[in-house]
Amino acid sequence: MESQIHQIHQQLVSEEITCLSLVQERLRLLNTNKHATVNSLLEKSAIELAKKVDAKITSGQKIGLLEGIPFGIKDVYMLQGTYTSASSNFLKKYKSPYTATAIQKLIDAGAIPIVKENCDSFGHGSSSENTIFGAVKNAINPALVGGGSSGGSAVNVAKDLTVFSIGGDTGGSVRQPAGYNKVYGLKPTYGRISRFGLMAYASSTDCVGPIAKSIEDIRIVLNEISGKDTKDQTTYSSEKISKEAISTASEIKTVGYFKNFLETEVIDPKIKLDFFATIDKIKEKGIVVKALDFFEPDTLVSTYYTLAMAETASNLSRLDGTNYGHRIEGDTLKDSYSITRSENFSEETKRRIVGGNQVLSQGFSDEIYLKGLSVRDQIAKSFENDFKEVDIIISPVTPNTPPKIGASLKDPLAMYLSDAYTVGFSLGQLPTLTVPQGTQTGLQVTAAKNNDELVFKFANFLKDTI
Amino acid sequence: MTVDILSSIKGAQPSETVNTLFEVIKNANTSSNSFNDQHHNAVFLDELRDDVVLDSSPIEKQLIIENFPKEKNGFLVVSKVIEE
Repeated sequence: MESQIHQIHQQLVSEEITCLSLVQERLRLLNTNKHATVNSLLEKSAIELAKKVDAKITSGQKIGLLEGIPFGIKDVYMLQGTYTSASSNFLKKYKSPYTATAIQKLIDAGAIPIVKENCDSFGHGSSSENTIFGAVKNAINPALVGGGSSGGSAVNVAKDLTVFSIGGDTGGSVRQPAGYNKVYGLKPTYGRISRFGLMAYASSTDCVGPIAKSIEDIRIVLNEISGKDTKDQTTYSSEKISKEAISTASEIKTVGYFKNFLETEVIDPKIKLDFFATIDKIKEKGIVVKALDFFEPDTLVSTYYTLAMAETASNLSRLDGTNYGHRIEGDTLKDSYSITRSENFSEETKRRIVGGNQVLSQGFSDEIYLKGLSVRDQIAKSFENDFKEVDIIISPVTPNTPPKIGASLKDPLAMYLSDAYTVGFSLGQLPTLTVPQGTQTGLQVTAAKNNDELVFKFANFLKDTI
Repeated sequence: MTVDILSSIKGAQPSETVNTLFEVIKNANTSSNSFNDQHHNAVFLDELRDDVVLDSSPIEKQLIIENFPKEKNGFLVVSKVIEE
């Protein structure tokens, strides 16, 4: 798939299409789509912005590459004046007072936000079923889940309802739905993109992540939204990634994969077979492939969920119905808090908050939470050592194909374990891209911290190789 | 303190599923239990944002008021506080 951004830009500049007709058509498609991807449409503002782009073109002014490009936003990002529900009952009527940095940068570049997209409530889920807006249906087979938590965003891109979408990835929430719907989804190095205005789930791994149909479109969007932001002090300055720089992968000599990801019984035999077929094709190109030792998938999942639950318990403690959100009055202040929280949070969100408070409480923190932090450090160290031996690590995105709608809600443990291949890279804060190739749910391409450019190079290589 | 009080969620109970995950961590082999050898997350003083009060824009203020669960004459109405 070639860059849709370049293609649409060309059509706009040559006046083959108008921005208004483009935006109106995408809004119509979103409004009538049967995949439950839409939480709210941004019709009025989108049409106004489209008219401005058309006026600029008609008057002979130049437009930027992203100007007039319609995009979607996972409904956990602030966009001033729009509903930002986090797909929750709690914030169903909450309006963003301000705009997230990443979204503002896209708007400043002229891109047009057209939809707030369905997702798992507060990012809590791997299937986009934990939402008050109805389960997101997979783009390829609507009987299956769209993946999560950025399910609506991945499905919208796959169905050409948005040109690109901005998802959020804490433990795989961009990469897994991208794999389930056969599109590209990037979790950049932690800190490359500002999290300001992204509702916090687990702050130490939360990442802003673009989803698109081509590597080039991911690159364009990443370049636009990266950068240091004083409103998020974990951000760092980064160089733009040029198209030319990623056109060759000749510097990549060695690729690794984690053998215990493939030796587990839970992996789908077809995914395993396809993964090794990909390895063979990479070897045929003269690249050395090394099997690496890594942590067991259940240890990775447990470490991730221990830390993520602790962080979400803390982050969501602000939601008590006092200043905003759906308040339910009780007899006393404390009653109001607890009734509001028990009635408004979903079962999955409550499970995570309670789990988080468990591990943070006296008597538990040492043997669970602190041990989780220690394992996380060892994971980071292990990655550091791995990247002394290999340039790139590849892995399947998921052990299995997307489940049927309804299955994950009945078996939360299975849902947690489905994140086995994505959470390790989140804990390591590494740049990881899902490419829609290699296995039925794609491949993850990972490089060392801050080396996002190398990920793009290898993704381009894979596009031409498999 | 019980988890329902800690979480401010009526009737909350620990989940068996989540406890299964915690058991894995308890039994995981770690080379050490310390986690202080690799943390370099400090922000340099020069990189801290300016310590100045930024006034919200009128539209931001308006939206904050619109989000009040209960409002009277432009003020937030809070739940009744009973001292224990």
